[in-house]
Amino acid sequence: MSGVFDAVVIGAGHNGLAAAATLARAGMRVLVVERAKTVGGMAKTVDWGAGAKGPEIAHLLYNLSPAVTRDLKLSLDTRSLPTIALSPDGAHAVMDGASLIFAAGGMHPQAADYAALHERLCRFAAFLGQLSDKPPPSLAGGLASLRDIGGMARLGLGLKRMGKADMREFLRVILSNAHDLILDELPDGPIAGALAADAVRGVWAGPRGPGSVFTLLYRMGQGGGAALPIGGIGAVTDALARAATTAGAELRFGAGVASVEVEADTVRGVTLEDGTKIAATAVLSSLAPLPSLHLAGAAHFDVETTRRARKVRAKGTVAKLNIVLKSAPDIPGLTDAQTAGRLIVAPSAAYVESAFNPVKYGAVSKHPVIEAVIPSLTDPSLCDGDRQVLSAVVQYVPHTPEGGWTDAGRAALTRRIIDTLAAYMPGLPELIEGKTLLTPADIEHLTGAPGGHWHHAEMSIDQLLTVRPMNGMARYAFGVSGLYLCGASAHPGGDVTGSPGPNAARRLLQERSA
Amino acid sequence: MNTHTVPIGLVPGPVHDRLEALSRAKSWMGWAGYISPAVLETAEFEYFAIRNQTTLFDISPMHKYRITGPGAEAMLNRMVIRDVTRIAPGRVGYVMWCDQDGMVIDDGTLFRLGDADFRLCCQELMYSWLLDAGWGFDVQIIDESHRVAGLSLQGPTSWSLLKEAGLDLGDMKPFDCRQVEPGLMISRTGFTGDLGYELWTGWDGAGALWDRLWAAGRNWGLRAIGYVALNIARIEAGFIAAGMEFQPVHAARRLHRGRTPIELGFGRMVHWDKGHFNGRRALLGQLGKGSRYSLVKVDIAGFKPAHGALIYHRKRREVGYVTSGVWSPTTKRNIALAELKAPYGTTRTDDLWVELYVNEEGRWDRRMLPLTIQDKPFFINPRARATPPGPF
Repeated sequence: MSGVFDAVVIGAGHNGLAAAATLARAGMRVLVVERAKTVGGMAKTVDWGAGAKGPEIAHLLYNLSPAVTRDLKLSLDTRSLPTIALSPDGAHAVMDGASLIFAAGGMHPQAADYAALHERLCRFAAFLGQLSDKPPPSLAGGLASLRDIGGMARLGLGLKRMGKADMREFLRVILSNAHDLILDELPDGPIAGALAADAVRGVWAGPRGPGSVFTLLYRMGQGGGAALPIGGIGAVTDALARAATTAGAELRFGAGVASVEVEADTVRGVTLEDGTKIAATAVLSSLAPLPSLHLAGAAHFDVETTRRARKVRAKGTVAKLNIVLKSAPDIPGLTDAQTAGRLIVAPSAAYVESAFNPVKYGAVSKHPVIEAVIPSLTDPSLCDGDRQVLSAVVQYVPHTPEGGWTDAGRAALTRRIIDTLAAYMPGLPELIEGKTLLTPADIEHLTGAPGGHWHHAEMSIDQLLTVRPMNGMARYAFGVSGLYLCGASAHPGGDVTGSPGPNAARRLLQERSA
Repeated sequence: MNTHTVPIGLVPGPVHDRLEALSRAKSWMGWAGYISPAVLETAEFEYFAIRNQTTLFDISPMHKYRITGPGAEAMLNRMVIRDVTRIAPGRVGYVMWCDQDGMVIDDGTLFRLGDADFRLCCQELMYSWLLDAGWGFDVQIIDESHRVAGLSLQGPTSWSLLKEAGLDLGDMKPFDCRQVEPGLMISRTGFTGDLGYELWTGWDGAGALWDRLWAAGRNWGLRAIGYVALNIARIEAGFIAAGMEFQPVHAARRLHRGRTPIELGFGRMVHWDKGHFNGRRALLGQLGKGSRYSLVKVDIAGFKPAHGALIYHRKRREVGYVTSGVWSPTTKRNIALAELKAPYGTTRTDDLWVELYVNEEGRWDRRMLPLTIQDKPFFINPRARATPPGPF
């Protein structure tokens, strides 16, 4: 223990690290404390043994903020992956940017409609995307400051600049459901299914749920598509960790926080689980609101805040199956290059919606929606020899099914996922050398994310923008002076965007310079 | 009687049969769902009994909540604006609590029955709020509203009356409370600004307690009273009432109807240094920015009660209104509590006028009457605080 830190960041996930890097670059003395042994949180590359490494939870980048990459001078090697909409009849399609073709080559009949829809969605998403790298507009005190008015004015201006037709269309669809939006333009099938799956990945909603257009646009905020970091998703958090340490931040592992110390309504530091006291003038928590609140103690918050924190909705619906394979699976109808793409099992939007139904009643989807990727095909450094890793993001799986998780339940889910994939990869079962299933409950246990939810707090309209994660706490400051939320629960939200962390850090810097 | 029938309308309180027998005016009003007397005989008789004899008023419709457990002190300290740690067991504190914006939710009396045992008495329904406020603390919260009855015995001869009833409380100081007999707690509290006690017992024991006091009251001028007389006394004492001087913010449907303790004149009751309490951050902000309103005691010319009248500066600019106004029979003044918009009432206190309409035998006339702001309660009498009380 040596002196007082300017800031302690709780959690070395991508947001905690991005916050730490931002603060350290501004000259602050920063310490990141992480309960686990390594950086990463939900964005980690792990060693599965048998000479295979792969992503543990998150596996792709959809919307990493270019501003964050630029500001923190991250050197990231990423490969853009095409999206492969798998079709039960074998007529798989390749979606790459606005282009849509059959995997076997040849014009896709929906190509023109898809291109138009994609282009429109990207335009809308870009408008939303500009909101991500700053705090949400403030409505407190009726736009009291010039800055608030400026923010709202720019927002309005951006909306106006879209042109009348686009503006109307944007306002018409923004709160509506992805299912209707997509099926207005495309027949239901694998293309519509892939878009619908993108709209609801990580959230507690089906594509017919209101707000699913927003989550689709959120994911397309940087132009849509997906990128694979070389070295696995952990390369991103490693780069962020380097950015933080290069700028002077310290990282401490195996350092779970037992409590945030508060005196006279001001943060004084943290006490670690081993009893170590660390003095700091600010604490940024990348945890969700409720666990963050628990660390400081309910007594330091208003009653309304504790009530809202308790009511923040975060029901995880995503399970993760990581498989080590003897060799690359064969997917009839796909070339080797296409097999390395982002494989989507969502034969139709209706399929995705049907998959959502059981989870409402605590059951696993009979026919799950899967986003699979075999990162080792793009990045051979992950595996020795012929080995490959297959990473599958699986929806919908309840946090805890009725009766709780049992070995039989886990085995049944694993089998169901493998069977679903095997419909497209006939030889898959024989190739499996090892597999690891992470249910939402496991993900919660590993990362502390409430409900094992990807975004720490549901990305629904009542928990977005000026009310993310909750009313009155939308601009990172979290009640006690010097305490901030810097994780996925804060604006703009989840996915590996890198945005909430630096936004929170800037809020702290702003307050310190004021 | 079919016990499954849900009563429609107001229901009788625990001593209603006694009140019914005494009621000549048949003037009833609703209070938290109970039939409560507005006037039993005449408001004047009843008022003068408060100031010259002793009166009995059923306060059982008040909401009562029991908060117990190791976290009770900390929980209440986070909820109310004053420092609960400074209220010793056996003492009662007047408390206010606010929402996150510093707006008063309600006020009431907090009885500290033990180290980890409190009873909160208040006007508004507060159970769900208390449950929210209790989250994160090791406490148990019980709604005792329908289990605990209360009788308010107020007036200069109340101590003597209690002695005659076999309850000698000569050593009891204002805001003391104690268990005097099994099932009977007495506190030296009240809403009249006079000598008085409140007696708390089980719902079913209220009738017997009433009879016991009634029997002892013969020589002490005991009179049962209704709300109208009590209201005159409480305005004389300068006490605020929920729904009158402030709108309990959870019940207010319109924006900006809430008022802060500072605006209600209780700034000095806020214990800023006790740690966080609900609304503290917002209230600190108001300290910096200044209050929007101030609640003041005013003396109005003439004798017509000015309840609800608008107040003007220089007879032109509307700056507030009278929240409660009565003719004060004891001080012989036309008194009121009034809310003024800042800066009136604080830095600008002159040239203020009350607008009244008077009916002179069928002819209405508008009058602008001067008002002057008072800094002390209208009725102050040392007998209210003397310990032991005098045997009047």
